[in-house]
Amino acid sequence: MRVFLPSLALLLVACQGFVGDTPVRPGDRNDLPEGVVLPAPQTRLARLTHSQWERTTQDLFGLDEPTGLGTSFRADSLPGDAVFDNPGAALDVDEVLWNGYQRAAGALAERATSDAAILARVAPDTGGAVEDQAERFVRDFGARAHRRPLTDDEVGEYLHVYATAAGLFGPLDAHTAGVRLVLEAMLQSPWFLYRVETSRDPDGRIIPLDGWEVASRLSYALWGSMPDEELFAAAAAGMLTTPDGVVTQARRMLDDPRAEATVVDFHRQLFDVRKFEGIVPSPDVFGDVSPRLAEFATREHDLFVTEMVFNRDGGYRDLLTSSDTFVNDELARIYELDGTYSTETFEPVSLDPAQRRGIFTQVGFLAANATTRSPDPIHRGVYLAERIACVHIDAPPEDTPPPGVMAGLTNRQTIELHTEQPGSICAGCHAQIINPFGFPFESYDAIGMWQTTDNGQPIDTSGSPPVDGVPTPVADAVQLADALADSEWVHECYVRHWIEFTLGRHAAAEDQALVADLGERSRAGELSIKELIVSLVTSRAFLTRSIEEL
Amino acid sequence: MTNLKLGRRIVLRGLGGAVLTLPFLESVGRPPAAHADSETSYAVFFRQANGVAAAQSTELGSEPERFWPRDVGALTTDSLRDRSLDELTDYRSQLLVLGNVNGQNFDYGDGHARGALQCLTARGPTVTGAGGDSEAGGESLDHRLGRELNADGRDSWFMYAGRNSGWLGGPCISYRGAGDRRSPIHDPREGYMTLVGGDAGLSAEAQRQLAERGRSVNDLVRSQLARLMSTPQLSRADRDRIDLHQSAIRDIEVRLACQLPDDRVAELEGLGMAYDSTDGDEVLAAARLHMDVAALAIACGVTRSVAIQVGSGNDGSTRYRNLATGGQLENYHYLSHRRLSHDSSGAIISDADQLHAMVDRQFAATFRHLLDRLGEYAMPSGGTLLDCGVSCWLNDLGNGPAHSRQNLPWIIAGSAGGVLRQGEYLQVSGGDRSAVNIAQLLNTLATAVGVPMTNFGDSSLPGGTLDEMFV
Repeated sequence: MRVFLPSLALLLVACQGFVGDTPVRPGDRNDLPEGVVLPAPQTRLARLTHSQWERTTQDLFGLDEPTGLGTSFRADSLPGDAVFDNPGAALDVDEVLWNGYQRAAGALAERATSDAAILARVAPDTGGAVEDQAERFVRDFGARAHRRPLTDDEVGEYLHVYATAAGLFGPLDAHTAGVRLVLEAMLQSPWFLYRVETSRDPDGRIIPLDGWEVASRLSYALWGSMPDEELFAAAAAGMLTTPDGVVTQARRMLDDPRAEATVVDFHRQLFDVRKFEGIVPSPDVFGDVSPRLAEFATREHDLFVTEMVFNRDGGYRDLLTSSDTFVNDELARIYELDGTYSTETFEPVSLDPAQRRGIFTQVGFLAANATTRSPDPIHRGVYLAERIACVHIDAPPEDTPPPGVMAGLTNRQTIELHTEQPGSICAGCHAQIINPFGFPFESYDAIGMWQTTDNGQPIDTSGSPPVDGVPTPVADAVQLADALADSEWVHECYVRHWIEFTLGRHAAAEDQALVADLGERSRAGELSIKELIVSLVTSRAFLTRSIEEL
Repeated sequence: MTNLKLGRRIVLRGLGGAVLTLPFLESVGRPPAAHADSETSYAVFFRQANGVAAAQSTELGSEPERFWPRDVGALTTDSLRDRSLDELTDYRSQLLVLGNVNGQNFDYGDGHARGALQCLTARGPTVTGAGGDSEAGGESLDHRLGRELNADGRDSWFMYAGRNSGWLGGPCISYRGAGDRRSPIHDPREGYMTLVGGDAGLSAEAQRQLAERGRSVNDLVRSQLARLMSTPQLSRADRDRIDLHQSAIRDIEVRLACQLPDDRVAELEGLGMAYDSTDGDEVLAAARLHMDVAALAIACGVTRSVAIQVGSGNDGSTRYRNLATGGQLENYHYLSHRRLSHDSSGAIISDADQLHAMVDRQFAATFRHLLDRLGEYAMPSGGTLLDCGVSCWLNDLGNGPAHSRQNLPWIIAGSAGGVLRQGEYLQVSGGDRSAVNIAQLLNTLATAVGVPMTNFGDSSLPGGTLDEMFV
């Protein structure tokens, strides 16, 4: 919950809006002293997402590619308010998923013990007595699978499993059989399937995490996978219990290609790229649009994010305002670019800054938030208000009477008639928040192409969206992009999303000082996205646990 | 009847651990059998979104009746003719078509949430007015029946076809408890693999080795989970999740007894990612495969409660087939609103009620597939597995444009072993539209399948059963 902003109350009194994930009403206060960051309660057992399972098994066995076994796991059903796929307290293991884990563990263990190269990495032949080799394998591989050193009791339990395997894999020799069954067991262990945090010794109002737990938090936040050898070594050396040690590792990890995949994944989820897949323009209106438009828009998104975050070391402002992007022939046609482009190769281009500014003027967002024929200012506006400015809007009233049949109106006029009747229940949210955020995009049609008229009339893209709770006149989407990039709330909202993504929980009252600090530095251009991430993962919120349990 | 290739024995476990052993169905070509008594009863819930093309007045004018039977009373060829339900004409003697099932006007802040989250829970939301972020305030009946009827505390089966995203997050009708939404079996192959547990073609010795290996690993994992459970600082929520994990760990040898014939396994294998599609043909094909697996799971005693959901809270991305042209319709949610938008602001879709009826007809045909499958399992005492339980095709809204919570379509096949009336179109609660009877209906269905119940759902709703449904 963020600290209440008085201007919001005036604006949203009829709309029942709030900021953050918990309703903020007049009188609500964060009871922490100003500037104090405390960890918010969160689960001690964050189950790996299916994509984390894939990346982790790939790294654990040193494979060139993911196994693909995780793609068959039963899908996770996420809470309706989850932006990301990793809400730690909501991911569970039921019978169907357990069966999936069992089968995947069996298949992976079989592959590992059938492939000499993989087996040599997993259980190297170090000479000596086979019992000693077995114990070394259990300790070494087990430490990587559990993401911490095993206790002697645990080693004993795995060695017992090892010993029972003889004769249970047909003709397989006893040692290989033992290794295979132990691999199956480790891949089904809760210590592998969950990121378990057991630290419990409080230091005042916090519980410091041990180095192994910090290593896992870092690796899953930045790579979506297990720690590498260097991170394990840092944990073993006690270097992850100091901010400097964590900063060193975080910067190193952000330079790793795995971080690019994670950062792109974050933005895919934040910007609802999955929704792009539903882009199916009406063939009656857009007969010449490629059936691969959704795929092209997704590719543009990924290249744009990677370019801004990693190649230019940009900040959130750059995502919101840059006119540079990447196109192929179809996107170049929609953006009305001169020149020759191919279908499969995307090239960097600079779009007309008077028409295109930032990610919300790109094809993906615009076409995904459109009907099959027309722009959809309501969904464009709701998305910007809720996801980008963190202004919650209550659900619309049910059984809203339709507008009736009206000929000759523009899309905007139809929406206004339907939603902004003075005194109507709809007008509270639509007239003040939703429509002002959505109407500036009326100059982009249902596939994101620039348009200046609608139904024979000039398009009106003006509006006064509530930026930072204050109605802010903008002439069009380009000015709105600049207003968003200057907004305190928008940058704080972005930080909140990073907290949710890296910690697997919603941002909470305890995070407010961190949100305000990082948000302001991002807004002021002092933090690139990479440095914002570094600041977040070196914060107390990230490196410690709450003394309260979730 | 389809020839099913079964192992030597299928074991149906009933209440109290009673074991019903099926006799030696060892050869390909012999139909499977089940026991026709109360211990084999079950429930299947097949959910469609967005209401049906019932007679109604909209801002575009009056729409004729395209769904419900013409007359209350006996279901006949004439009463079903030219209605979407005529897809089920051959099953009319085994159907109970319920009219006047009414939900409560809970404040979900959204008609779809109110319908989808209430239809099997008879509960309001955990947080009022949350719209698309809503969660149901209690356990759903499919899960409850699984708890009550399944052997060894096994979960009921929740299956889903369509995009795993969208309004209400996609899969949304099955709950373990308040705010505790269940994850579905999305890929039918995953359900099938859960059922068979491994390669049924293994030799007896190989099966023994597999079982031994599984036991060794399971013992270790159980002990690790038990130690985690004993960690004193663990929260209640974390304990609940460990508890669920522990209960999911099972030995696998019994499940090797059940398998589908090769041609249906080939269909499963050929599905690819089509279960996660926006193409209505693919979505309904996935639903049919879910039904194949679910029917087998019921016949094998692995579960006695199944919920199959098609499409998200508003099925807002699926494009079903236009039965007249063979092309794809606009997305179903648009059709249900009669406009090209997810609200009521888009351009009007011509003849949308007829197109909506086409969707209803495709769901009816898909439901018929379930009945066909259940009807393939012959009972030793006569009849089929279809007769032993209840299979419900339900829609969580009465109609599309108004998101009505009244006159919710519930089409019930199977009498639960002679408990429920059949062959009728019945107006429950005397046809009183003001009667909120969704909880009573769920009580009735639970009671019919052997779990007597009078107070399921929200305590403020009228309890008891709809006795007019009983024989």
